[in-house]
Amino acid sequence: MKASLGVLALALGATSAFLGIAVLGWGIRRGDERLLRLGRRYAFMILGASALAVLAMEWALLTHDFSLRYVAENNARSTPLLFTITGLWAALEGSILLWGLILGGYLAYMAYHFRKRATDPVVAWAMLVAYAVALFFFVLMLGPANPFKTLASAPANGQGPNPLLQNHPLMAFHPPMLYMGYVGMTVPFAFAIAALVTGRLGEGWLTETRRSTLVAWGFLSVGIILGAWWSYEVLGWGGYWAWDPVENASLLPWLTATAFIHSVIVQERRGMLRVWNLSLVVATFCLTILGTFLTRSGVLNSVHSFTESPIGPWLLGFLAVVTVGSVLLIAWRGDKLRSPGRIDSPVSREAAFLVNNLLFAALAVVVLLGTVYPLLAEALQNRQLSVGEPYFDRMTTPVGVALLFFMAVAPALPWRAVSGDVLRKRLIVPAWFGVGVMVLAAILGVHSAWTLLTFGLAAFAIGGIVRQFAIGFRAQHAAGATWWQTPGRTVRGSPRLYGGLIVHAGIVAIAIALAASSAFTTKTEVRLNRGETATVSGYDFTYVRRDVTSTAQKRQVKAQIRIERNGKNLGTYAPSVSMFPAATSAIGTPSVRTGLLRDIYLTLVSTPTDKDRVTIGIAINPMIVWIWIGGALLGIGTIVALLPARRRVVVPPPPADAGAGDGPSGNGDGTDGDGVDHDDRDVPAAVTA
Amino acid sequence: MKHPARWVAGGIAVLLVAFSVVLATQVGSDPRADAKKSQLAGKDTPKFRVQSLDGKELTQADLAGKATIVNFWNTWCIPCREEHPELTKFYARHADDPDFVMLGIVRDDTRKAVDRWMQANKDAWTVATDPGGNAALAFGTRGQPETFAISPDGLVVGYQFGPSSAQDLETLLAAARGGTGA
Amino acid sequence: MSAGSRRGWIPWILLGVLVVGVLAWALWPSGGQSDAERARSLAHELRCPDCESLSAADSQTASARAIRRDLHERVAEGQSDATIRRAYVDRYGESILLKPEQGGLGFLVWGLPVLLLVAGAGALLVAFRRWRSAEPLQPTDDDEALVREMRTGEQAS
Repeated sequence: MKASLGVLALALGATSAFLGIAVLGWGIRRGDERLLRLGRRYAFMILGASALAVLAMEWALLTHDFSLRYVAENNARSTPLLFTITGLWAALEGSILLWGLILGGYLAYMAYHFRKRATDPVVAWAMLVAYAVALFFFVLMLGPANPFKTLASAPANGQGPNPLLQNHPLMAFHPPMLYMGYVGMTVPFAFAIAALVTGRLGEGWLTETRRSTLVAWGFLSVGIILGAWWSYEVLGWGGYWAWDPVENASLLPWLTATAFIHSVIVQERRGMLRVWNLSLVVATFCLTILGTFLTRSGVLNSVHSFTESPIGPWLLGFLAVVTVGSVLLIAWRGDKLRSPGRIDSPVSREAAFLVNNLLFAALAVVVLLGTVYPLLAEALQNRQLSVGEPYFDRMTTPVGVALLFFMAVAPALPWRAVSGDVLRKRLIVPAWFGVGVMVLAAILGVHSAWTLLTFGLAAFAIGGIVRQFAIGFRAQHAAGATWWQTPGRTVRGSPRLYGGLIVHAGIVAIAIALAASSAFTTKTEVRLNRGETATVSGYDFTYVRRDVTSTAQKRQVKAQIRIERNGKNLGTYAPSVSMFPAATSAIGTPSVRTGLLRDIYLTLVSTPTDKDRVTIGIAINPMIVWIWIGGALLGIGTIVALLPARRRVVVPPPPADAGAGDGPSGNGDGTDGDGVDHDDRDVPAAVTA
Repeated sequence: MKHPARWVAGGIAVLLVAFSVVLATQVGSDPRADAKKSQLAGKDTPKFRVQSLDGKELTQADLAGKATIVNFWNTWCIPCREEHPELTKFYARHADDPDFVMLGIVRDDTRKAVDRWMQANKDAWTVATDPGGNAALAFGTRGQPETFAISPDGLVVGYQFGPSSAQDLETLLAAARGGTGA
Repeated sequence: MSAGSRRGWIPWILLGVLVVGVLAWALWPSGGQSDAERARSLAHELRCPDCESLSAADSQTASARAIRRDLHERVAEGQSDATIRRAYVDRYGESILLKPEQGGLGFLVWGLPVLLLVAGAGALLVAFRRWRSAEPLQPTDDDEALVREMRTGEQAS
């Protein structure tokens, strides 16, 4: 009954999408406003249908209805409640259900947000394209990836989810966050196609969907960081990023989306780069589909290999149609996109954004080529090859360091042009800070040139960010705010700028953590008898005892290890090994003592079947927590950047030839007295929705 | 700029179609097909050193002059357990052959588990442990069970990745003896 | 340049010297890698056979451990990097190497991105040069005609 309900819901969704396309198409053709207004309502039906399908599946999971094959394969009676609920996305078919639900949500958002302009052909075309994408996914779910397939005879108990997917509560967050990011990229894509098809390319439609891109980008960033956290805390190999094809698949759209977020600002200000921005948006969406194809079709081996299925050819067909179709559209409309804009000086923020785009594009090319190289080698020369860490690290590190440099310099660059004096004055203090940190790192024993550069540039960037905040705070305070009110007022004065700075701070934190952990990590293994203590890197590790817990879900053997330093007890940590009934081998779970400066990472190397002796792996990983802190900053910065700016009395910007934007404040930094270069103000309300 | 842009976009479209074709050709294939073949086929037996359960050291020299089946296994892998009755049946048929040797090398398991297994199953063929995993490395194993057939003059002539049936084992043995087969 | 702005460059030159100095010190060849370092760097280049994309250096499986031990022994025996790599390719096939070859097909991954980056940078430079020397826009005849059309359209409606 649940299966029928689910299939019915999916059919309803597919029909709504199809009808939406038909109604909107007809309405556009005839210019019939009533049809166009009707057409947007189908979005809500699609949301309802996908929600119903998800509810049907969750109902089946929660009642352990093993007559559904998906439930039998991904759930067991002994599966804890949390992992029963998250079982929705434990395997391919269910995760497409989740994709459908999130897509329905974004569709409903589009229909609601643009309700006043439902009769505008651009909005209509965008909804149409979004419906087409939804239709594809519904057809997938009704066809090759049907989550509601039933079994002829229901087993008494299911297999349960893959052990790695029921080991950690992160399972509840990492896939949904990632999907909110992936699927969100459909919205700007839909508008890009709409703008191309209607030829209405100069009205800021793309900049308007900047907000939805930013939201999707925020989710994608957090989702990727959560994935790294998963790799570190759950998988137990001690690292957070393995350049696995699935990880790369999530990184690729992130890279192009980040490039877009920067270059769309150039489009807002100068009307330039329209073709490039459209291409970036299209590329981002195509890369999400490519990523899904690479991970679900089984063409590449990866950590996520347990999610392979026969939907490969479908995804590939969809990918080909979308990609080639979009490129042809851009070619067709290319002449309309020519813009007369120009950038005045190579030393300006616009120019820095162009370089930023070049570097991000280079990173995307490297990651894409490295990921598909094994496929190319097999197809062209019938050779089986692998590409891993040595290649990716070698190729991405220089570009990453260059990006750090530009990230440090760009916020100090004013728009349009700058005189050398002003730039030097703004950057000198952060530069000294950066070089100071670099020298300090060298003294502390860092010997790798790239790591030194990273530390130095990261400090340089932080110096610049702090400087910008300080200027803003000082100006607000001078304008009469109390110290308590100052931060809020500053940020609300120019949320895009400060949100961006917070995001940059997050990136810097991550960069520092990456550099520190690659330079200073130590790994050892020690064998301990019960009660025996070993000393590693100044910490004392004592094997206290073994604990065995057996639940219906799993049998877990833990080794309790006490950590002490200088006599002070830092706590007892328990790396463990779990046996799941359906699994062929044991799953190791690390135990991590997180600290601000370093993590102590314990793994169980030998299963303590002999309860008096155990071999544990001890790794000291410096600064890892700053990756997670950086991730949180990425999320916070995105939220801040999305806040509406405080309405204020606007002093018109000075004319461009007044010498380095010397504003009314007279201090030569192009501000209106609040420390912010006000060409950063949000685009006025007439253009945004 | 109109024409260059069209050419660039057209060129990119062609590249994308080519790329899609490449991806399409790979959709059906197994990315780890090379795992199913051994790189050792036709080469000399690799040098290895293992310890039999009664403490004796065995090397590749001990296999000289005999048709050999080497089977990598352990006590916890489910396909190994599936394969076990087939191994027993196969060995029972050839146990009396003086020119035949079957060697079971334990891969990635504890001595205790192996002892417990042997107590329960009393496998008749030579079982050895591989402390340090050198033999597993020498043979280029990726997992278990993996079975190799070695001819009397020390050439690796057959390989099976994954569980072998008694029939598979007969084929391997025939190859080791110089007949047709794997 | 005025005397003031020339003096403004001094702290930057100092900074530049410091940075170059530190980098030079870091890059100074320090007598080659120790055996342990060589073994470790080789372990990073070999894939752990049981895993999907983890290197033998990172993975904790028994076979990765065995590989690390084996690499230590080989390095201690004095085998060259190339010999060691070939030995592993002989046993496991090319897919055991995580670093693509430098020549041949490997140009796709090593050379092509660099080529594209250089081409992109070149295009940017050309664009900057063109913008620098561009004259301010003049309306073309088409533009005038368009404006005229819209004006008459406005008057008519």
